[in-house]
Amino acid sequence: MIDLDVSLPLARFPLRIETTLSGQAVAVLGPSGAGKTSLLECIAGLRRKASGRIVVSGTTVMDSGRRMFLPAERRRIGYVPQDALLFPHLTVEDNVRFGMRRGAAGESLYRESVAILEIGDLTQRYPATLSGGERQRVALARAIATEPRLLLLDEPLAAVDQQLKGRILPYLLRIRDELRIPFLYVTHNAGEARTVAKEAIVLREGGVAFAGPSDEALRSVTVIDPEARFDNVLAGVLDAETALGETASLRVGSAVFAVPAEEAQAPGRAVFAVAPEDVLVSTKPLSGVSARNVRPGAVISREVSGATAWIRIGSVGLEWTARLTLAAADELELLPGSPVWIAVKSHAFRRLR
Amino acid sequence: MTPNDGSILFLTLRVAVCATLVILPLGIGAGWLLARRGGTFRSVAETVLSLPLVLPPTAVGLLLLQALRRTGPIGRFLDSAGIELLFTWKGVVVASAVMSFPLLVRPTRTAFEEIDPRLLAMGRSLGSSPVRVFGRVALPLAWRGILAGTLLAFCRALGEFGATILVAGNIPGKTQTLALAIFQRTQIGQDEAAMRLVGLTVVIAFATVLASELVVRRRSQRTAV
Repeated sequence: MIDLDVSLPLARFPLRIETTLSGQAVAVLGPSGAGKTSLLECIAGLRRKASGRIVVSGTTVMDSGRRMFLPAERRRIGYVPQDALLFPHLTVEDNVRFGMRRGAAGESLYRESVAILEIGDLTQRYPATLSGGERQRVALARAIATEPRLLLLDEPLAAVDQQLKGRILPYLLRIRDELRIPFLYVTHNAGEARTVAKEAIVLREGGVAFAGPSDEALRSVTVIDPEARFDNVLAGVLDAETALGETASLRVGSAVFAVPAEEAQAPGRAVFAVAPEDVLVSTKPLSGVSARNVRPGAVISREVSGATAWIRIGSVGLEWTARLTLAAADELELLPGSPVWIAVKSHAFRRLR
Repeated sequence: MTPNDGSILFLTLRVAVCATLVILPLGIGAGWLLARRGGTFRSVAETVLSLPLVLPPTAVGLLLLQALRRTGPIGRFLDSAGIELLFTWKGVVVASAVMSFPLLVRPTRTAFEEIDPRLLAMGRSLGSSPVRVFGRVALPLAWRGILAGTLLAFCRALGEFGATILVAGNIPGKTQTLALAIFQRTQIGQDEAAMRLVGLTVVIAFATVLASELVVRRRSQRTAV
């Protein structure tokens, strides 16, 4: 549980955050420059000018009313900034070991961090030789190795665009499920937010525009963040054996989807994304289409921003977001509760790694 | 090279090494403070620290002489502690140290300034105290600049003349360094002896710079920093 009551003067407006986050995993959404990074820096203890009160799982780390400011090195809050901020003079191994505790416990935590983030092959390299995604993973491993009581993750802005390679999302899911470290995750991708976190806050101009279940954050994000993406993120298990002709199958809960066969080379846990542009919506049962994944469903809601309509659809126990032109959405008369069919071709499933 | 040349060389090296070692911790501290602080403190400190660079060395020497003599503001304390600086080899060290200090501080300050302050903050966030962050992040990232400054200061100390002659005189076998000896030899018409000493200084300076080049190159191949 994180109790926030923070104020900080920023260049364009003051940051003023007053909210209580109860979840293990919280997504932080909002447009660029809304104060998301500043909020993380306040919690990490990197903003001395912050005032107010911050309580992280029972420990007060700042209380300006009592002139109390726990220095960053005593907060035990792991921070992964957008640019990773690896120490350029140290190898990957020495970076990860930087904040590690001494002794056997630290050593096993080091090995665990390296294994979970899959950076075993990189340990002797220097940061200058790593790709952006690799740097993020090393920074995440370095934060985990300090045994933090809270992780703060700032997704690089470059990940706003379609670029799916090098995302830390799949690793984040492992950290959530295997290590159970609570975290705050800054992202521009409302779809990711929904998969990663049950709870979300949306910031606008330094204030909290929305705080609540991440499913419901979509409405305010469409209004507030024009850059936001709404990828459909599916975390499931990739089956190697039950190949359906040229496709492999991805099991998510009770649903099975056909995905490109080349992805089956590394079966097991897998995270896929489907862009909302790639979700086809029909009001009549679909037949005779080439798409391998056709499912019935029902419209949950319709959000409009500009000439775009975002249609949320419940189907086979999952929630989908489809991006339609406003004209198309009007023509189909898509209203909450309307029965629809969605069609997604297998190649629209792109694996995140 | 005569035995006498050898003892002059030894004295010069000893003085230059001592002066460099004395100012190294002070210079790193001053460079760090200047890099991290702004405002009037910085402007005033910069100006004071640059004085030995812009003033004639003899003027600095005279000021030092006034300060260090028995009745001077610093000399009084040294005298009661039984420390004799003027006209000893230690006096040469003091004069060289003062004159070479700014040459150490400037590159050191620049090197510290070039470090992203967020990297230092990251060190804190990973559990290191400010002192440990300085040792584990700031120093290793600034070492090139510090080394460059140290060499500049060392070479300056090697050739210091103006301030030295006022503070320590030109006493053969006691305070006569290479620079002073070259001057004295030419004054008494021993141009050949003077040229021998000039040759020695060239060799030392050359060796120093070459050694530093090699160190920097080897390190950069390893770390690409």
